Amino acid sequence: MPYFITGDCNGCTACAKQCPVLAIEGVAKERHKVNIRRCVSCGVCGRICPRGAILDGHGNLCKSVPRSQWSKPVVDTKTCSACGICVTWCRADALRISLPAFHGDIHVFAELYQPNKCVGCGLCEENCPVGAIRMAEVHA
Amino acid sequence: MRTPVYAIIDLNTRTSARFEIDESMYRKYIGGKILGARLLYDLTPAGVDPLGPDAVVIINTSPANGTGAPCSSRFNMTFKNVLTGGIASSNCGGQFGVLMKRAGYDGIILRGQSETPCVISIVDKQITFSDAGELWGKDTEETQNAFPKIYGKLVIGPAGENLVRYAAAVSGERVAGRCGAGAVLGAKKIKAIVAYGTQRPYVAKPEKFAKYVKKWVSFLRNHPMTGEALPNYGSAGLVSKANATNALPTHNFKYGHFKDAQAVSGETLADKYLVRNSSCISCPIRCERRVQVDGKEVKGPEYETCGFFGPNIDCISMENMLRLNYQCDLLGMDTISLASSIAFAMELKENGLADFGVSFGNSDNLIEIVEKIAAREGIYGELANGSKWLSEKYGGKEYAMHSKGLEMASYEPRRSVGMGLGYATSNRGGCHLNGGYLALLESVGVLSMDALSTSAKPAFTAFFQNALEAISASGFCLFSAQSFVPAILFKLGPHHKVTRAVGKIATHMGGGVRALLWMLPILRFNSLYLFPHAEVLRLVTGLPFYTGSFVHLGDRGYNMERLYNFREGLTGKDDSLPDRLTKMPQDPNNPRTIVNLDKMLPIYYRIRGWNTDGSPSKRTLRKLGIRV
Repeated sequence: MPYFITGDCNGCTACAKQCPVLAIEGVAKERHKVNIRRCVSCGVCGRICPRGAILDGHGNLCKSVPRSQWSKPVVDTKTCSACGICVTWCRADALRISLPAFHGDIHVFAELYQPNKCVGCGLCEENCPVGAIRMAEVHA
Repeated sequence: MRTPVYAIIDLNTRTSARFEIDESMYRKYIGGKILGARLLYDLTPAGVDPLGPDAVVIINTSPANGTGAPCSSRFNMTFKNVLTGGIASSNCGGQFGVLMKRAGYDGIILRGQSETPCVISIVDKQITFSDAGELWGKDTEETQNAFPKIYGKLVIGPAGENLVRYAAAVSGERVAGRCGAGAVLGAKKIKAIVAYGTQRPYVAKPEKFAKYVKKWVSFLRNHPMTGEALPNYGSAGLVSKANATNALPTHNFKYGHFKDAQAVSGETLADKYLVRNSSCISCPIRCERRVQVDGKEVKGPEYETCGFFGPNIDCISMENMLRLNYQCDLLGMDTISLASSIAFAMELKENGLADFGVSFGNSDNLIEIVEKIAAREGIYGELANGSKWLSEKYGGKEYAMHSKGLEMASYEPRRSVGMGLGYATSNRGGCHLNGGYLALLESVGVLSMDALSTSAKPAFTAFFQNALEAISASGFCLFSAQSFVPAILFKLGPHHKVTRAVGKIATHMGGGVRALLWMLPILRFNSLYLFPHAEVLRLVTGLPFYTGSFVHLGDRGYNMERLYNFREGLTGKDDSLPDRLTKMPQDPNNPRTIVNLDKMLPIYYRIRGWNTDGSPSKRTLRKLGIRV
């Protein structure tokens, strides 16, 4: 079920900037709109909205959550096959395939190399074909 | 079950319409190149100009695309072959296919011709058109950078715009290279097609599918071929293997052995230039090379490029080869056809028939020349027409290394005669993958079937052509099938008596493979060790796919493509190879080192159930359920 932006929105663009699938449309200082064809109900907009103007798929008001408490992907490096699906879906560029440890190393895996860019959308976990990614709260 | 949704895009009026593929057609042809061949047959009249306004280009996906199954990101382009006039299907591992599917379309059919250069965007089920503007004329990298990073893109470079006959379409860093995929888009004045959406692909049995995918991924990662050899050396690792068995085309296919092959081998590439390996999306094999050239990290060459910009033109400069490979990607050109045409031009010069300023042993001026070919500048415009065209104008047909007009890949058929039969009979022309890729069993793999014997080759060729056809059409990379050679043979090594015995037995298994082909409809089992693709297709579509019906599907596809070729005038007479391969032994002291097509073709036709002229018989078509 897609999310919904209420009339409380003041067009601060925070949600549109972070939406991992570019589903939020609108111009600055005006009420934004969720593209229902595209919304994947990841909840990023709800967590980020400073005005509490976002309803989730069930019509509940989303609460804003401080960024430090957002869950982040934890990769099981043994299961990960480095197929790159998670990297493809990560719009925030937070994930990458690790660099080889030495010249000719082929045992690489997905890694969270820019944790501060991660928005915790969970698309990587959802799309991982081998279940190597788990979203968990990471305390720095 | 969910039937595929396609869009017909009319470029004359810049409109689009959505339609669903009929269920009975879907059950029979599934998707990818097989469904593409059927649609192309139905949608175009005979004899259309592949670059004219009546030509149709089909870009489609398969049920497994984007589901997360290993090596399943490959989408397909089907169109009338610019080089041969027959069928063309070009396969690409870029993100475009997956994202087009997520945008709500399993395929698009392009008709008509745009007046001005345009960009098509397929976003959340909506198809819109815009003018290409300044993008026209830009290279493939710049063009793709003009769109959001998360979009799937399929673009052409200057070569496609200038209708170079072997121009390629590029998606990300992957290329739909062969048969002129870029030229047909260029003729329609499409600079780019972009797609984005978030719709999840349909999977009929998601839980079983997820379990099976895990099993398959771990199998691929533990197999010596897909888990070690390919990630370590990429396909370029085959250079030294082919050289060792005299199957590495050298000096425009004159010889099969190059004394300095080590300089351009996968091992040298891995030692000196490799930065890391990479992959198409969803692939655990990761055979793509990322190399450092002129201070920039770019995509490295595949085996064919190594062979053709190296031994085939007598050059040993790896740096030049890396630059040429990168430049071909930027300009949007197929390295196989380009390099083979250049090698042919070199031989023309050697024989005093024509001078294009290229000569064997010198690759320093090629960068400049390749740019001129892409721009069709002056006499280089002629090189852009391919070696068949050149041989018709300047002569030298006996060493123009193409079949039906499409240049052959870098496997010397005189040292793997099954591959020779594959090149000759392949529906899209001289293509190793459409030709059954017997070279893997004869000369570049761990197994060593007698590479010179014609025994059993027709049966193996037919079987593997069908199998590879089905794998391609279901959206998988053919490398995912390399694991069918048992891991134990790799561990024992090619010289162990067991491995050699298996190779020897295979040479006498023609009858067995023939029987297998007959028994296909009753082979109701699936095995991870044979064709895991069939099981994935079963779980994704919910249709009863087993090893037998899977290969049978490939058979249907192969016959469908053949019918298209026959309609367009490519008949059994075109199942031929240049005289260099069929009449002149590679080793003058060994008369067996030729491709004895006359002996193999009649047996091959019989095995396939075709008439003596090479056309599919009515009985075969009835058996396969093809109605025309």
